Amino acid sequence: MFYLRYLRSELVGRRTRTVLTLVGLALGVALVITISGLARGLDRAQKTALNPLSAIGTDLTVTLSPQQDTGGFGRGGGGEVVQANQSAVTDLSKLGKPGTQFVHDFFLPGTQLTFPQQQTAKIASLPGVASISNGLVLSAVHQEGVVPKIVAKIKAGGQQLDIRRQIKPPTAAEAAAIQACFQKLGVGGGPQSGTQPGGQQGFGGRRAGGGGFFSSPAARKCLPARMREFRARITTPQQTLKQVVSPPQTNIKSSSYTIGGIDPAQQSIGLVTPSQLSRGRFFSKSGGREALVSAAYAKRKSLKLGSTLDLNGTRYKIIGLVSPPLGGQTADVYIPLAQLQNLASQKGLANVVLVRATSSSDVAKVQQEIEQALGSGAQVASAKQVAASINGSLVDAANLSHDLGLVLAIIAAVAAFLVAALLTLSSIGKRVREIGTLKALGWSQRLVVRQVLGECLATGIAGGLVGVVLGVLAAAAIGAFGPSLSASSTTGAAGANDVLGLGQALARTASTSVSLTAPLSLSLLLFGFALALAGGLIAGGAGALRAARLRPADALRQME
Amino acid sequence: MTGDLLYDVRNATRSFRRGEATINALSGIDLTIEHGEIVALVGPSGSGKTTLLQLLGALDRPTSGQIFFEGRDLNALADNELADLRLRAFGFVFQTFNLIPTLNALQNVEAKLAPTGVLEDELRARSLALLEEVGLSDRADHLPSQLSGGEQQRVAIARALSTEPRVVLADEPTGNLDSRTGTEVVDLLTSLSEERRHTVILVTHDAEIAEKAHRSIRMQDGRLREPTPA
Repeated sequence: MFYLRYLRSELVGRRTRTVLTLVGLALGVALVITISGLARGLDRAQKTALNPLSAIGTDLTVTLSPQQDTGGFGRGGGGEVVQANQSAVTDLSKLGKPGTQFVHDFFLPGTQLTFPQQQTAKIASLPGVASISNGLVLSAVHQEGVVPKIVAKIKAGGQQLDIRRQIKPPTAAEAAAIQACFQKLGVGGGPQSGTQPGGQQGFGGRRAGGGGFFSSPAARKCLPARMREFRARITTPQQTLKQVVSPPQTNIKSSSYTIGGIDPAQQSIGLVTPSQLSRGRFFSKSGGREALVSAAYAKRKSLKLGSTLDLNGTRYKIIGLVSPPLGGQTADVYIPLAQLQNLASQKGLANVVLVRATSSSDVAKVQQEIEQALGSGAQVASAKQVAASINGSLVDAANLSHDLGLVLAIIAAVAAFLVAALLTLSSIGKRVREIGTLKALGWSQRLVVRQVLGECLATGIAGGLVGVVLGVLAAAAIGAFGPSLSASSTTGAAGANDVLGLGQALARTASTSVSLTAPLSLSLLLFGFALALAGGLIAGGAGALRAARLRPADALRQME
Repeated sequence: MTGDLLYDVRNATRSFRRGEATINALSGIDLTIEHGEIVALVGPSGSGKTTLLQLLGALDRPTSGQIFFEGRDLNALADNELADLRLRAFGFVFQTFNLIPTLNALQNVEAKLAPTGVLEDELRARSLALLEEVGLSDRADHLPSQLSGGEQQRVAIARALSTEPRVVLADEPTGNLDSRTGTEVVDLLTSLSEERRHTVILVTHDAEIAEKAHRSIRMQDGRLREPTPA
């Protein structure tokens, strides 16, 4: 067919212009696809991470915070919390014999008070409440190491001390008296009087003898008083001391995590539900010695499905990995509620109540009712409030995507469209004379427009396809190398209720990291593709029509 | 001279607006051309030769007056009808050849023939035959840029003749060629047209070429300088 050959010749013959148009279109399309994909990715990440409560089948979470003056509902005020948290003070002597290995987990309630489980029935009976679920979320401190020596034995004494003193040599009179005394004892050759060196030597010689002669009591009596005790040996008394070592030397490693107890009988509402399961399975309804671990914690601690956790002597098998929603009440490890209550000596107690309203329009009313029923210590958080407490780059990026992403996508779309249109128009502008020639040859206006549109269609399809491929590659690259966005939420923290100063120390911060992806859909790819085609065709059609409507004489006159 | 009236131009004018000014490119043209004539339009630059040729070839419409072609008032025809007339009744040869630069010699001939609805095989055969007549069958697959000026103009002649038009209109066909080649091209054009009994209207300012015509029409300042013998 002549017209197709003409079309091909035109595209191949004007290679530079064709490639330029094609690249312009492709970049525009790729940009639209990438930006839209990115905005969708952020939106999706936000939906999964920032819409915490609906994911766990609940509308409201109820917790108790300590207050100076607590109403009648909870188990007490500040003192209670302090007492509860004191169980973390380790009595090292109770861990075992010094030198042996120990592992122990301490469970702390943080700043959330527990309330008796049966009292949560009160919430359940409120009008508008469809169902409730009790949960217990505790801060846990895991310690392991060697039991330290707390008492040290110290032996002291038994050392011998030699004491020496310089003694003035005896005067001539004393020497004579000593000599006389020695002679009286029948000892000859005693110390000579007169020359000092002689005298010194005399003493020295005898000293070397180990004090035999001078040590005898009789000989000592011959000496003047000041010379009698010039040499002494002291032995200190021996004793054993017991002392408490402070601080005790030890190699205990301490790490903290959070642990949540959930009712395995209720699977549609809870701190986690089967819908957050990323691997493995959920608790069986009976609830054995099984644990669910958050995917982030498992990664941090290199835990796998089938690994076991030792909680104070009880071994729990990890049966599933979960991605708990941010906000509200998340934990690193989940075990059945009753078992956590046992482990933590919190029998029959819970510190989180999840509430589902019968209809979403009732949520605000139910929230008010619960607040009234439980008094001032109760904190009733709605999904909206929980979402608002989440922060981090994901939130920033999500806000960005809402505001800027849409604008960017529109700008990219308009830019792609304009690039396509301008490139097409400029290429037609350079062909007005050629169009005039075609008309002089007898081509009708319709035929000229059809031919130019055919070229635009071909360029548009090729540019669109290249753009789609580029867009898919860019999206894949974002998925592979893109940044991670994080979102975090702190519960049990400070704020106005931090009357005890415990808040910061015991606050539990849950965070989740979502790697940025640019998910694409067929409709998005088609949209980008259609955009390139539309830009090319509309501009091509308009340009060709304008040129083809010129009288051939006018068209031929152009650029002649 | 067969006596068949082909063109009857009555008081045709053509003016252009250039900003505020109005330029009368043609004023009060009265002219008749008979079937089979070879007519040369001669005159200095700007005398209105090309404008008159474009009116005769239905590339343009007169500002006033009438141009009858085979008894039909061209000004009364719609754009589409004029396009069909250009396709089937007219063949153009331009000073600047006006070949489509991305099409080879053969395809350039086909570009005129294809809109008549001729099917692929016949299209190719007829176009090749025409290239052979202008002596370029060995250049069929050459692009215009690979051809000399004379060769390009011969392709243009083959293209103009491809639809067996009643009139061949040539606007200074030798203007971009050296004199020898120009003479060759005009000889080719006139001989092929006479063979086929086509009417030829030729714009030129070359007296030698004008001599090859049956009749010369002299123009100056948008008017005919002397009345034409009927």
